[in-house]
Amino acid sequence: MTLAIDLSNISKSFPGVKANDEINLKIQEGTIHAIVGENGAGKSTLMKILYGMLKQDFGSIKIFDNEVNFSSPKDAISEGIGMVHQHFMLADNLSVLESVILGMDRASLKVLNKSKYKDEINEITEKYSMPLNTQSMIDELGVGEKQRVEIIKVLFRGAKILILDEPTAVLVPQEVSELFNNLKNLKDSGVTIIFISHKLDEVLEIADEISVMRGGKHIDTVDASTVSKTDLAEMMIGQNLPTPPKREKNSKQDKALTIKNLTAETENGRSAFKNINFSINQGEVVGIAGVEGNGQRELAESILGVYPIESGEIILGETTINDLSTRDRRESGLSFIPEDRQSQGLLMDVSLSENVILGKQSSTKYKSRYSNIKFNEASKNSNIVIENFDVRTPGNNTLALALSGGNQQKFVVGREIENKPSLLIASQPTRGIDIGAQSLIWNKLRDARDDGLGVLLISADLDELIGLSDRIYVIYEGSFVKELDPENATPEILGSYMTGLKT
Amino acid sequence: MINFVKKHYLIILPIVFIVLIAQMDKYDQLTTSGTFGAAIRLAIPICLAGLGGMFSERTGIVNIGLEGMMIMGTWFGAWAAWLYGPWYGILAGILGGALFGLIHAVGTVTFQVDHIVSGVAINILAAGVARFLNVVAYADQPTQSSTQSPRIDGDVGDFTLPYLSGGADTPSLFGYLQDLNYPFISDIAGLLLGATSNLSYISIFALVLIPVAAWVLWSTPFGLQMRSVGELPTGSESLGVNVYLMKYIGVMISGGFAGLAGAYLVLESSGIYREGQTAGRGFIGLASMIFGNYRPFGIFMGSGLFGYADALQLRSDDAVHGLLILISLILFIFAIKQLIEKKYINSSISIALSIGFLIWFLNSETVPSEFVYFTPHLTTLIVLSSASQKLRMPQKVGQPYRKGELS
Repeated sequence: MTLAIDLSNISKSFPGVKANDEINLKIQEGTIHAIVGENGAGKSTLMKILYGMLKQDFGSIKIFDNEVNFSSPKDAISEGIGMVHQHFMLADNLSVLESVILGMDRASLKVLNKSKYKDEINEITEKYSMPLNTQSMIDELGVGEKQRVEIIKVLFRGAKILILDEPTAVLVPQEVSELFNNLKNLKDSGVTIIFISHKLDEVLEIADEISVMRGGKHIDTVDASTVSKTDLAEMMIGQNLPTPPKREKNSKQDKALTIKNLTAETENGRSAFKNINFSINQGEVVGIAGVEGNGQRELAESILGVYPIESGEIILGETTINDLSTRDRRESGLSFIPEDRQSQGLLMDVSLSENVILGKQSSTKYKSRYSNIKFNEASKNSNIVIENFDVRTPGNNTLALALSGGNQQKFVVGREIENKPSLLIASQPTRGIDIGAQSLIWNKLRDARDDGLGVLLISADLDELIGLSDRIYVIYEGSFVKELDPENATPEILGSYMTGLKT
Repeated sequence: MINFVKKHYLIILPIVFIVLIAQMDKYDQLTTSGTFGAAIRLAIPICLAGLGGMFSERTGIVNIGLEGMMIMGTWFGAWAAWLYGPWYGILAGILGGALFGLIHAVGTVTFQVDHIVSGVAINILAAGVARFLNVVAYADQPTQSSTQSPRIDGDVGDFTLPYLSGGADTPSLFGYLQDLNYPFISDIAGLLLGATSNLSYISIFALVLIPVAAWVLWSTPFGLQMRSVGELPTGSESLGVNVYLMKYIGVMISGGFAGLAGAYLVLESSGIYREGQTAGRGFIGLASMIFGNYRPFGIFMGSGLFGYADALQLRSDDAVHGLLILISLILFIFAIKQLIEKKYINSSISIALSIGFLIWFLNSETVPSEFVYFTPHLTTLIVLSSASQKLRMPQKVGQPYRKGELS
């Protein structure tokens, strides 16, 4: 067997961080090689170096025994390396065909030979059984199809080595198994695949070999058939793998939130969600599972008062809050952890002590009699959040953008919980953060629940939903299609309801 | 056919209305060949500026410096035309605009200056540079002035379609039809006659650029790369597209178009460079770009609308009066449309405005001259604010992009 990739002594430093520290990695041709590690372990940096997006400080790269020196992704592509990024690199306004052939030709003024390209693409889609309509616009496609476009884009360039950066993060279980089938097909026809992930179950299922990275170092490479999940986890974080805390039901009789017949439409008149009925008791976590875009975001935003509703009733505690503004709703005990901390949860250019005010800026907590902001109070409270939620920061004067993603998220969650709400809407509370921060947030949410907080949890992480929720509703095309007890729910069962396979 | 009408009724209905109104003697200027001919001449600089805006924004750079680049086009166009003749003026206008496009590109692409800030700076700078150059270049001329150039002979000859419009001493079919004064047929003939007679070669050159721009952007690898850069710079970079280069080229083409628009103004309309000659046409071009949904033919429609209103106010006060009933009718259609969409508040506002225009129309014979000058801008404003089409701007327009940064 030949070596597809041979990295020796790769090092890369950023100001203050050693992202890659003397990495040695050998990958056999025609295998699936997984690279696992926490966020910040240096996986992405290594892959960017391999793909020519970054330049290593030291070390050498050999592709099929040729020493190479990449200065841009174009060089990597011409050596047969292709990368599928975690966030799809697709423009909504281009067609599938245009997306695939972008960059194939030099930027000249000759006519694009679209029909020739179309035939070539169809050849690939048939060969690897990945059906696609080349005429569709990208924004008409679902997540799984977009990923297929990305893979075809890479294969179309004759890639022999395929780098997949967290490919399953955005997929539901059924799409994941479809992807894995495609990957196995690719492997059988000789493509080498590098699979980056932090989901150990998936890695064990699909990979032949697994390399573990931690703190910029290559810890070990092991055979997937002989290693156990626990061993991998220990290599990855140096401690046991955290799981969502075990449930003990602790809900009280009083309702925190009641939703009656709630219906809303999207801007273009389609139904966003219809006839939603449920309630959350105090001290209860109610989870909502669903593929993104099935109305869960609109539902959360309509409870918050951001998204207009058509009909129905929203009752917070005992009072109907339909007619209250978002500000009034927040002041009467509603808190919200938004799904995108950077654009919705924090002001990135502002210090933590000011960020703690957000959402309560008009309440007497931070507003004095003369409408001044109580900065002392804000400073004090931000320190409380930083301490209680283990936010790693030099101080509360640090700007939010200087924190890592996990610490930003801990701060947002801490701020919302420390506001002592009666109901918390948590939308993707642990998306894209490392295991340490994740387990802290899980514990804190659980503690808050035990103190009587009602939580509406919306998450794409099905293990998180099953682990934290007391009840789970599955939302599909704007309706609740199933209520499940997490005791009996598995990601596969949830996934089949989420995709409408079962009703 | 029925589907076509359903889809485009917002374009078709106003045209039908205009033709109907033009049947009244008082308003016959609404559809004469003279009006349409003037409309095309007035529309071309705006269309060129709009195309310029499109090339820039398609690569992700907001270009409100179009006005300034157009000023450079007027000055350089006049200067080179004065020295060497009109075609050199066109060339110099393009280069002058492209030069300022280059400055905008250096600021926004290389130094990541906010696009609006850089654009405003371009506009201020261009006005100053033009005045400075004017003083220096014509210092030894008897007509020396800081705000005007000497008179320029901008004649490059013109072209009239033979047989259909009477070019080269052939009979004119459209002219004959127009003189018959049949409803619709004569009006359409007037439109075609206006569009195909006495077009200068510079105008033809400018009009040909519209399909050329569409072809470049949608049928060549170069155009695909340009569009991808405005939609998704990081992704394009990772596929080997030279994002910075594309942005530079896009903004420079943009400047070139604006410069051409400026040179056109000098050579075709006034025959002289005069300070303030562009009169905000760069900004109107930007508006026509938005109206045209960042597409060449849409931009042509948008600028044509402005040119038409502008031509009307130049040719006949009476015809402008006819526009009042047109606006009233269009608002009425809008009100019905909004009613169907259950937008009751919007609908009642439209109804109220519609009735207001109707009352004004019925109780007056002419429109005050102050209002007449304002017609083109008002028409554009009304159309822009009511254009309910789905605008789809390039996804990353106006956002800074740094090479090698993954978002």
